[in-house]
Amino acid sequence: MTASPSEAPTLEEYGASVAAVAGGEATVQFGTVKVKVRRDQWKDSLEKARDKSGLLFFSWLSAIDWSNQVEVGDPLTDEIEERIELMAAVGDLDEGRLVIFATDLAKESLTIDSLTTVYAGADWHEREAHEMFGIEFVGHPGLEPLYLPDGFEGHPLRKSFPLLSREVKPWPGKVDVEGMPGTGDSAPDEPSTENPEA
Amino acid sequence: MVIDQDLVRHLSEASVSVELETPEMTLNIGPQHPSTHGVLRLVARVDGERAYDVKPVIGYMHRGYEKLAEVRTYAQITALINRIDWVSGYANEVPFIVAAEQLMGVEVPERAQYIRLILSEMARISSHLVFNASYPLELGAATPLFFALRDRERVLDLIESVTGGRFHPNFNRIGGVKPAYGSGPTTKKTIQDLPRGFLDETRSAMDKVLATAAELEALVAGNEIILARTKGVGVIPPEIAAAYGLSGPNLRASGVDFDLRRVSNYLPYDKFDFEVPVGTNGDCWDRWWMRLQEIRQSARIIQQAVDSIPSGPLQAKVPKVIKVPKGETYVRAENPKGEMGYYLVSDGGLGPYRLKIRSASFSNLSILPWALEGILVPDIIAIMGSLDFVLGDVDR
Repeated sequence: MTASPSEAPTLEEYGASVAAVAGGEATVQFGTVKVKVRRDQWKDSLEKARDKSGLLFFSWLSAIDWSNQVEVGDPLTDEIEERIELMAAVGDLDEGRLVIFATDLAKESLTIDSLTTVYAGADWHEREAHEMFGIEFVGHPGLEPLYLPDGFEGHPLRKSFPLLSREVKPWPGKVDVEGMPGTGDSAPDEPSTENPEA
Repeated sequence: MVIDQDLVRHLSEASVSVELETPEMTLNIGPQHPSTHGVLRLVARVDGERAYDVKPVIGYMHRGYEKLAEVRTYAQITALINRIDWVSGYANEVPFIVAAEQLMGVEVPERAQYIRLILSEMARISSHLVFNASYPLELGAATPLFFALRDRERVLDLIESVTGGRFHPNFNRIGGVKPAYGSGPTTKKTIQDLPRGFLDETRSAMDKVLATAAELEALVAGNEIILARTKGVGVIPPEIAAAYGLSGPNLRASGVDFDLRRVSNYLPYDKFDFEVPVGTNGDCWDRWWMRLQEIRQSARIIQQAVDSIPSGPLQAKVPKVIKVPKGETYVRAENPKGEMGYYLVSDGGLGPYRLKIRSASFSNLSILPWALEGILVPDIIAIMGSLDFVLGDVDR
């Protein structure tokens, strides 16, 4: 373990110590430690994190589609670099540290090494990321669809994928009595702190 | 009589060589098996009484919450995520709301935190009581179901009296909990509070839950059939459990002393005295035992919380239209099923830019191909049931 009970390191120090072992750069935001690694070091970094930093617990793996053009939801306020950010959260089971490893994938070449040989639990998570974002995991034993039916086309969690039911019937529909807050319609009241009957 | 050792050897070898040829077949279980906790399908290669290459087929309940969250406001999302693990609906809300509050920098009043904690522990009791009802049933013991569901109803009644909903409370608001109308002292300018008599009713309900835990233990723990079907069955070593991301009681049953209530500060658990039960063998028996003990510990926490709940407001001051500032955070909580977490990415809008939902049952279930390799077909249900999953929590 990196921490001794006498001098518990801050999250920043902890993040830096993991990054020193596994490679990459650590940042801390709202108590969440994130280590950004290079794409070609992805598997290698997580292997080191597991073996040398004691991060044995595989929590989850997923991605974010950073996109300037969005079909659903609100667009980003600032122009960003288009990419898919792949993240894997691993933790230790002594002090409850959790580190999120992240790497950027260019949208033109979404291939990366599979983590299934490092953490067995990555199997389903990578299948999910494969169908939802279109990421190819090299070395995965079988990237079959996990949730989506056979023959489904597209990658639903990409920002370019429209939410069809919403196109057919815009939300909120006519049946909704409340408007969306901030749209100029009557904003839904948060429960007021006063008793209406009093 | 002299035993002819040569003959014995010959016979024993002969019995090996005439082993029955069993044709391999593919066995399809589900997608509507009564004990699969939702719509799950298993495809197994069966050779005689043993199953190999078990492939769980999931996704029948996929509702795409992560995509939907991108077009919903924060207040609307709590209504969605109630339905992830519907057996403990309330507990799903807490980490999401805490994540949004972290990004906004909102201090939640202490009383609201205590109410969240009490309801979370009630959700745990109700979830574990469902497990204590259904798991013995899956192994052929019907009686515990009636004991467990009777007391689960007591707990659900309490949750309903506070939130208005038995399964889907949708009770958390950013900055606190929803002040309920029509209950509690109603003077002008006073926000509504817990229903009158709630604390007393909770005390007596917890006494009854503890009595039921003892009854369930007497019913199940001494049952020879249950012992034979669970002891030493489905053993998961700790390193395998961690690599697959097993969490909650399933991880602790394997001997890992880890509970997010002690290391994550999403709710003020540090103010309470409770034990975290830890198993030794990681078999089905331990996984059942964990959940029975956790009912007792949760009741203990609730008893302490109703005795020490501070007075004060239920809501922090927040703007009427919630906009969450730019930022990313991951908040995880110890749900009845294990680690439930939300990775929230906000761009300052009315809803998240991206919401990754980490549900416990998804990882818990992903160990099935490993855990079911080469086991007896009747043990499939014993092992699967002991992992206590809900398909809504798997498929999201």
